[in-house]
Amino acid sequence: MIRGIVAVVILDLKRFWVDRVRLVVGLAQPLLYLFVLGAGIGASSRMGGGDYRRFIFPGTMGLSLLFSATFAAITIVFDRQIGFFKAVLVAPIPRPAIALGKIIAGAIQSIVQGMVLLPFAPLAGASLGPLQTVEMIGAMALAALTFSTMGVAIACRFNSTTVFPVASNAVLMPMFFLSGGLYPLKVAPHWMQVAAHFDPVAYAVDLMRGVVLGEFFFPVALSLGALALTMVLLVSASVRVFNRGEDDSSLGASRLGWRR
Amino acid sequence: MPNPPARTPDASPAAVDVRGLVKHYGSVEALRGVDVRVEQGEMFALLGPNGAGKTTLFSILATLRTPTSGSALVLGRDVVAERDAIRREMGIVFQEPAIEQRLSGRDNLFLMGLLYGLTIAGARKRASEVLEQLGISDLADRRAQQLSGGQRRKLELARALVADPRILFLDEATLGLDVDARRTFWGQVRSLADAGRTVFFTTHYMEEADVADRIALIDFGVIVALGTPRELKARLGGGIVSLTTDDNLRARAWLSEHGFEPEPGGQEIMLLHADPAAVLPELLRNLPVRVERAEVHVPSLADVFLKLTGRGLEGGSKP
Ligand SMILES: Nc1ncnc2c1ncn2[C@@H]1O[C@H](COP(=O)(O)OP(=O)(O)OP(=O)(O)O)[C@@H](O)[C@H]1O
Ligand SMILES: [Mg+2]
Repeated sequence: MIRGIVAVVILDLKRFWVDRVRLVVGLAQPLLYLFVLGAGIGASSRMGGGDYRRFIFPGTMGLSLLFSATFAAITIVFDRQIGFFKAVLVAPIPRPAIALGKIIAGAIQSIVQGMVLLPFAPLAGASLGPLQTVEMIGAMALAALTFSTMGVAIACRFNSTTVFPVASNAVLMPMFFLSGGLYPLKVAPHWMQVAAHFDPVAYAVDLMRGVVLGEFFFPVALSLGALALTMVLLVSASVRVFNRGEDDSSLGASRLGWRR
Repeated sequence: MPNPPARTPDASPAAVDVRGLVKHYGSVEALRGVDVRVEQGEMFALLGPNGAGKTTLFSILATLRTPTSGSALVLGRDVVAERDAIRREMGIVFQEPAIEQRLSGRDNLFLMGLLYGLTIAGARKRASEVLEQLGISDLADRRAQQLSGGQRRKLELARALVADPRILFLDEATLGLDVDARRTFWGQVRSLADAGRTVFFTTHYMEEADVADRIALIDFGVIVALGTPRELKARLGGGIVSLTTDDNLRARAWLSEHGFEPEPGGQEIMLLHADPAAVLPELLRNLPVRVERAEVHVPSLADVFLKLTGRGLEGGSKP
C-alpha cells in the first residue's frame, strides 16, 4: 500500500518537474489579483491600497493553492484519455493507493506553487516573522491537502479533459468568491456569511489570514475541524470511486462526460 | 524477481481458461459465449475483424473489465475474485499507447517497476535490464514523444516486461508499424515465448497470427475456429500443387492411375491435396516425366476466414 502510494507520488512529481515552467506561469494569476485587482479595489475601498493588498494576500495564496491543486488533479482525467492510466490500473497496487497517491502528489505540487508565491508577501505589505512564516506554511500545507482532495474528488468522476475544467471552474470559482478571499466576511451580507460556513476554501483562507493579520473570522478549532472533516469525506468518496469494481478501465467515470 | 505464487490451486493450471464468457455493453453483445483454453508456455493468437470482441476478451483477461456471465481464469485464478493475485503475473500491452509521453523510456520503466513493488534501486536496475534485453538502451533517455512509432511500441513491450510476467497479453501490439518493424517485434515476442512465457495476443493481421502456436478465430463475439495455423489451413481441404512437365498427357495418366485427381484442362496440371507440401517430393521422385516447374499454393488464414464467415477479415463485424 505504502509502496503503491509512493510510486504514484513519484510518478506525478516526475511529470510535474517536466512541466516546472508552470510554477512561473502559475504566479501570474495571483500576482494579477494582488497588484492589479488589489490596487484598483483597494484604492476605492475604505481600507486603502496598502492595507487591502495585505488583506487579500492570504486570499490570493488560497487562490493559487486552489488552482494548482486542481490542475494537478487534471492528470487523472488526462491519463484516462491517453491510456496511460490503464497501465497503472493493471499494476498490483490497491485502488486506494492510487487515490491517496494522487492526493498527496497534488498537495505537494500545490504547496510548491504556494512557496513560490510566499516571497511576494513583503511586497504586498504582509511581512512575516519567523514564527509567522512557520505558521503560514503549516496553514498552506493544510489548505493544499484539502484542495488537492477536492480536486481529486471532482476529477475522478470525469473522463473528458474538455468537460472537467469547465465543471471544476463552475464549482471552484463560487467557492473562492464565497471564501472571503477578496473582502472581509465580517461585513459581507448575512447569507454570504452563512454560505461561507459550508465552504472549505473560506476556512483555509481564514487560517492563513489569521496568521498574517492576527485576527480570525472563524474560531481556529472550527477551521481545523472543518478542513479535517472535508478531507475525510472527500478522501473516502474518491477511494470509493477508484474502488468501483465494474469496468475498471473507466473507473466508473462514464457517468459524467463521454464514454470511450 | 518472479514472485512465488502465494497459493497454487492446481499444480500446473492452464495459462488462460475461459468458459461460457459473455459480455454485454448495454444492448451490444460483445462476447456471446466464448470458450478458450491456453496452455502455459503457449503463444496464442486471437484473430478477428474490427469489432469482433478481441479487446473485450483481452480486457476481461487483463482484469480491466468484468464479465456479464461465464468465468475466466488466468493461471488458475479468477480474474474478478482474485484479480490482485494475478495482476503481478501479467504483462500487458494495450491497443492504445500506455506510456507517459513526456517522460523518458527509462523513467517510464522505472515507475512501472515501483508500481510492481520493486525498490527504487531494484526498479532502476530492472529498467536497464529490460532496455538492454530489447536492444533499446540507446533510446532510453529520450522523451517517449520523440521516438518513432516502432520504437514506442518496443517501449510498450518493455513496459510490459518490467514485472517479469509469466504471461504476456498483447492487444494489437503492432498497430501502425510497417512490415519490417512488425517482423522484428514478433521475432522478439517469439523468443520470449520460446523462453517459456505464455503469450496471448490479438491481431487482425494474418501474418502475425501465423507466428502463434495456436489461433482462435473470433467473429461476432464467438470463436468460429480454433487450432494450429496448419490445422486451420487444412480446413480448407489443403492446398494446390501445380506442375508443368515435358509431357503433361503422360503425367495426367500416371496421376490418375495412382489415385490422384488432377483438375481437367489448363496449361499446367493442378492437383488438390490435403497436404501439398508433403506430397510434392513424392511426385517429383516417382513421376515418369520430367517436371519443369512445380508450385505449391497453401491457403492463407485470410482464405480460411473467408471460408468460415463468408466475409473477408477487413470487412469488420457488426453485431
Ligand atoms: N465501452 C464500450 N461500450 C459499448 N460498446 C462497446 C464498448 N467497447 C466495445 N464495444 C462494442 O463491443 C464490440 C466489440 O468491441 P471490441 O473493442 O472488443 O472489438 P475488437 O475486436 O477489439 O475490434 P478492433 O479490431 O477494432 O480493436 C463492438 O461492437 C464495440 O462497438
Ligand atoms: Mg480491439
